[in-house]
Amino acid sequence: MKYIKFFILFGILASFSANALLEVNIIKSKEDSFPIVIAPFEMIGNFQEDVDLSKIIRENLNRSGQFDAKSTNQLTTGPIDFDFYLKHKKDAIVFGKIRQISSNVNHAEIYIYDVLTQKPLYVNKLAFTNGALRRTAHALSDVIYYALLGQKGSFNTRLSFVTVNNNKNNGKRTYRLKISDWDGKNEQTIIKSPYPILSPAWSADQRKIAYVSFKNNRSDVFVKYVFQETLPQKLPKFDGIASSPTWHPDGKNIALTLSKNGNKDIYLYNFESQKLKRLTTNIAIDTEANFSPNGKSIAFTSNRTGQVQVYIKNLKSGKISRATFEGRYNAKPVYSPDGKDLALIHRVGKDYRLALLDIASRDLTILTQNKSDESPYFSPNGGMIIYSTNRDNKGILSIISLHNNQTVELMQKEGEVREPSWSNYSN
Amino acid sequence: MSKKILLLSSVIFLSSCAATSISELGDKFLDLINPSDTPTEVTDLGEEVFVAYDDSAGFTFEELEALSNDELIEIAKEKGLEDILKIDADGNLQNRDEIIIALLEAEALLDNVTQELQSLSNDALIERAEEKGMDSVVVSGELKSLSNDELIEIAKAKGLEDTLVLDADGNLLNRDEVIQALTDNLIILDEDGNIQNKDEVIEALREGAEETKLAALLLKNAGITSTLYFSYDDSEIDEVATRIIIEHANFMQSNPSFNLRLEGHADERGTREYNLALGENRALNVKEVLGLYNLEDRIVVVSYGEEQPVLTGSNEEAWEKNRRVEFSYY
Repeated sequence: MKYIKFFILFGILASFSANALLEVNIIKSKEDSFPIVIAPFEMIGNFQEDVDLSKIIRENLNRSGQFDAKSTNQLTTGPIDFDFYLKHKKDAIVFGKIRQISSNVNHAEIYIYDVLTQKPLYVNKLAFTNGALRRTAHALSDVIYYALLGQKGSFNTRLSFVTVNNNKNNGKRTYRLKISDWDGKNEQTIIKSPYPILSPAWSADQRKIAYVSFKNNRSDVFVKYVFQETLPQKLPKFDGIASSPTWHPDGKNIALTLSKNGNKDIYLYNFESQKLKRLTTNIAIDTEANFSPNGKSIAFTSNRTGQVQVYIKNLKSGKISRATFEGRYNAKPVYSPDGKDLALIHRVGKDYRLALLDIASRDLTILTQNKSDESPYFSPNGGMIIYSTNRDNKGILSIISLHNNQTVELMQKEGEVREPSWSNYSN
Repeated sequence: MSKKILLLSSVIFLSSCAATSISELGDKFLDLINPSDTPTEVTDLGEEVFVAYDDSAGFTFEELEALSNDELIEIAKEKGLEDILKIDADGNLQNRDEIIIALLEAEALLDNVTQELQSLSNDALIERAEEKGMDSVVVSGELKSLSNDELIEIAKAKGLEDTLVLDADGNLLNRDEVIQALTDNLIILDEDGNIQNKDEVIEALREGAEETKLAALLLKNAGITSTLYFSYDDSEIDEVATRIIIEHANFMQSNPSFNLRLEGHADERGTREYNLALGENRALNVKEVLGLYNLEDRIVVVSYGEEQPVLTGSNEEAWEKNRRVEFSYY
């Protein structure tokens, strides 16, 4: 009760608009994709939501770059016409039904058949909360992805990002920290501010987002419980800038950049002891830290040699080693979920492009032809990278499939979208 | 006598402008002596100037700056400011800038700022106060009608816990003081978003606004630039920059009431967080030079990284203008 009252008293800016502002543009690649059919789902019961499950599933699978999923008007009851699908070179067929069994619970039956052998590959019945059909569709997409590829999908996940809108009348900017489903739908504003917002990052349990705000006319790090009506919590005041927050996988620690006496180093802040531990000590700029998935190392950006390069610190041995050797500018590293690669921003001539570094072999692969890529982040299955870039002088988000480089672009009609981060799997 | 000096220096100034024609020279000449007067009034230089200065609109900064030291001394005496005049043995004014500030404060500027703030709409005033870092709180009814626990909660949430005096059981002992502190430091909004404590908010904004305005005028008049530019991914202070910083050091030493906020910025290239660090390094390097003059206690450094460009656009021209440190006095 107390929380609710507090919330009303301070009027937190958490408007939950149902309008999806993000538009989607797909730069398709048919190369090497799995041809399948997702039939319309049979809906049994009285559903409040008008959601086309099979369409959402098809879009998810197609955007991953792994599938070429088509619809069919063939009914899902009765015998399956395997010859028809074989003739059209489809490898698998998916169909199912959603049955409302009580006011709170839906059952989803799902069937996946191999067209060539005419045998079921996967059959299951799963329970979902009623009133979350879109989320059900994302969860079923993950089920299909795993059944057909033997890998986890990244569909039942969320994005966080920052939007910036200019008021044409007074020239003022409005910054919004937003979250959405991975496909840009179900967009919600978490923080709205006239001051810049930077670097939102999901905690591993995806209940919290840490971010940088200039609301006090300087950069401070805040933590917001995304789904609770509480005020953002500011990390204790430090001298100089506090920026670049990144969560330890345990969720109890956060690494951030602090400028003490002007020297920018990376520190570890423990929420329980409220103590700081210094992780780097170099006189140069050390910032943009990111934890390896096992929490044993951090990758970070430093200009300690006079050039901007990426380094890795082993937190147990304390040893710091340089990770990037190609080019004069490599920054903002993030670990892949298997810990083997880093996505980073690499300068080529005058352009800043998304690149993938194999940590062990030091092989660097440039993934785009863009001018100003920023803020890369892996999907939780490692199959995609989201990053921000410019299209027609406007900031947009771009998701690239590492399977075949297919790209999905998310943009606003008006204003910029930037600083994406990808949540872990939803509960 | 003093008028003649003004006249003479104007002639010297104008004659140095080689391209100026005689007729133009005549017009400018009149403007310089007394910008607000009609030409006929200038014929008698003995009195008009002072009549103009006594105009109800008060002095403008430019008018005061155009005066000689002797004239300033006379006006300061008239306005009852002789106590702060510093005059050496030869009768020369030692604290010219200070006198000008005092005169402006005594008159127009103060009114201007207050009037300007009062004329703002509710929303514009809120925006201005928030820009200055004031936090807002929505209260149903008045602060006075809130319970002690609610007051404690607000004070804690808004970083004003220092004002709280609590007994061992956590009961509030200084209710009135806390209400006053909240009124002075926060924007108190009613449920419709209207400011309840307009006078206090204006008072809080007034001082800073005056200082900032004055400093900008003084700098402009002294020809001191308030922005330093840097090379790509570089925070070095070169010779040109050093000269400008020294001018600011002198300015700060002769104007001890001003504090300085150094704002570091970067261009859009490269990653945001690295640019935030780079912007801070630029501002810190400026502070380091000012530190040689023992001014560091009056300086705060902030960085906006690439978040507040002067020019938008992805080209060398915009980038050059955006890699900068801004001097902002308050």
